[in-house]
Amino acid sequence: MALDNKKLAVDYCGLKLDSPIVLLSGCVGFGEEYTRIKGFSNRDVGAICLKGTTLEARLGNEPHRLAETYSGMLNSIGLQNPGARVVVDDYLPMLDFDETRFIANVSGSTVDEYEEVTRIFDDSPIDAMEINISCPNVKEGGVTFGNDPEMSARVVAACRRATKKPLITKLSPNQTDIAENARRCIEAGTDGFAVINTLMGMSIDIEARRPVIGNNQGGLSGPAIKPIALLKVHQVYQECKAHDIPIIGQGGICNANDALEFIIAGASAVGVGTALFYEPLICKEINAGIVEYLEKHDLGNISDLVGTLELNN
Amino acid sequence: MNHPVTRDTINLEEASILSHDAFAGDQYYLRLHAPMTAETALAGSFVHLRCENTLPMRRPMSIMRTSEKEGWIDILYKAHGHGTRQLAQRKVGEKLSLMGPIGVPFKQNAYRQRPLLIGGGVGLPPMVFLSEHIRRTAKNVSPFVIMGSEVPFPFKSVPSQIMLAGIPEGTIAAMPLLEDWGISSRLCSLQAYPGCFDGYVTDLARIWLDGMDSQQQQDVEIFSCGPTPMLKAVAALAAEYGLPCQISLEEYMACAVGGCAGCVVRVETNNGPAMKRVCVDGPVFEASTVFPQ
Repeated sequence: MALDNKKLAVDYCGLKLDSPIVLLSGCVGFGEEYTRIKGFSNRDVGAICLKGTTLEARLGNEPHRLAETYSGMLNSIGLQNPGARVVVDDYLPMLDFDETRFIANVSGSTVDEYEEVTRIFDDSPIDAMEINISCPNVKEGGVTFGNDPEMSARVVAACRRATKKPLITKLSPNQTDIAENARRCIEAGTDGFAVINTLMGMSIDIEARRPVIGNNQGGLSGPAIKPIALLKVHQVYQECKAHDIPIIGQGGICNANDALEFIIAGASAVGVGTALFYEPLICKEINAGIVEYLEKHDLGNISDLVGTLELNN
Repeated sequence: MNHPVTRDTINLEEASILSHDAFAGDQYYLRLHAPMTAETALAGSFVHLRCENTLPMRRPMSIMRTSEKEGWIDILYKAHGHGTRQLAQRKVGEKLSLMGPIGVPFKQNAYRQRPLLIGGGVGLPPMVFLSEHIRRTAKNVSPFVIMGSEVPFPFKSVPSQIMLAGIPEGTIAAMPLLEDWGISSRLCSLQAYPGCFDGYVTDLARIWLDGMDSQQQQDVEIFSCGPTPMLKAVAALAAEYGLPCQISLEEYMACAVGGCAGCVVRVETNNGPAMKRVCVDGPVFEASTVFPQ
């Protein structure tokens, strides 16, 4: 037990999480990077989702890859990674699986690539896999699959063939009907969802009259997207609750209040990403804030709060 | 299990502002009480500052000087964007959240006899830090520091009392701090500032190098920090004279711990091109890998 508070313990797709907090893919490298900071501990979170991984190594996009926006930021990394085999052989042995759970982020350009990457991680100590069908920053695969329910389902079905480990599908907010997509992914065999990935956006340098981001557009994250993410979680939860499919709610969470809103909306766990960039020790505060709320409302465990939203008439 | 040696190497401190002085050209000199960072920072290290609490991104700033004894670090920055303009508003006594020290520093020992340090604009700070380090740690090593700026220098220059072979007559302006330390320096600008060399930093560096014979040139190695076009010219100069050259880079940065891969630079490696993170793989790189000739 990493965190000494049973109120925070969550069962997510069969994974025992010591806290509902999941550190988000793309924000925390391959699981060790934030431990550089004194006071930061992987034990403060329930799980860490590793950087998006493809079959072969990718260089990613040209700089600039980042731009600050009002209450958020754009990024366009382009799935820079060393390839699935290197991650399994060289990176996973560096991780301390006693500290937290580790989730791989499976990415690709073709359905076959998603399946092959899943197969490689299946034969590894990784605890679960997140299917990234919502990366907005690559030309093939990613969000082009994730915005099409038929393609989303095909990718999920292919990954399902390759593993019995928990599969979490990361849904794109850049689509018309996220709930319909979720329904198709449930049919195709997903065990859980991560809701949402970033929203596509742009920032322009008015002197150069060029996009700030090297790839012209990027994914918007941070507090600016929280209301959108919250609504998407609420919508996806309507499909999930009958099937007992849990959701990681994510998008702009930067304090315990934000996390609690997502849980009330239907999330079983909450993702933290961009907030780490400006407040690296925020997870300790979020855990403490959640516990305080549960005590105040006389709730035994965070799970008692999931989906307790009562809509207005 | 054995955890990586990188664990617990970066401090998170609430740093009090000890002094905060404005200079011409929107330049600011900031002294922060950050004792843990002051203790372990090396020349080339940087800090990641929260300029204002509503901004979603911190700002990376190179360190100019430290006092381990008194627990402060000095930063020189230019207020040219939203974050740095917010920082410029912060008053003495206020606190800033600071992560540091971060990054791979300049080489720390085994210097050649005549290190050439070239700093441009807000790339001056690491050159001052490195000068102080060399002065304290290296015997029989005589650095020459060339600084360039197209806005007034953030200090009052002094006529140098340290004579240098091969330097054009009238190029006498020096940084007083370096002068006090007995380290030779000269200033360059295209703005006709008194005593400054009228040209680019690389023009003065070339004149200095050409004043040596080939044997003396082999005692030189270059360290540099500044705008990208300047660094590119410095890298080309180093390659032309066959001199080792380390450069310090900057890029927009989110996490500054290697987690987001947002701050990369394309480099050439033995295995082909690679995208290296400026925050933890740098900010100091071999110039030939960033600007292959």
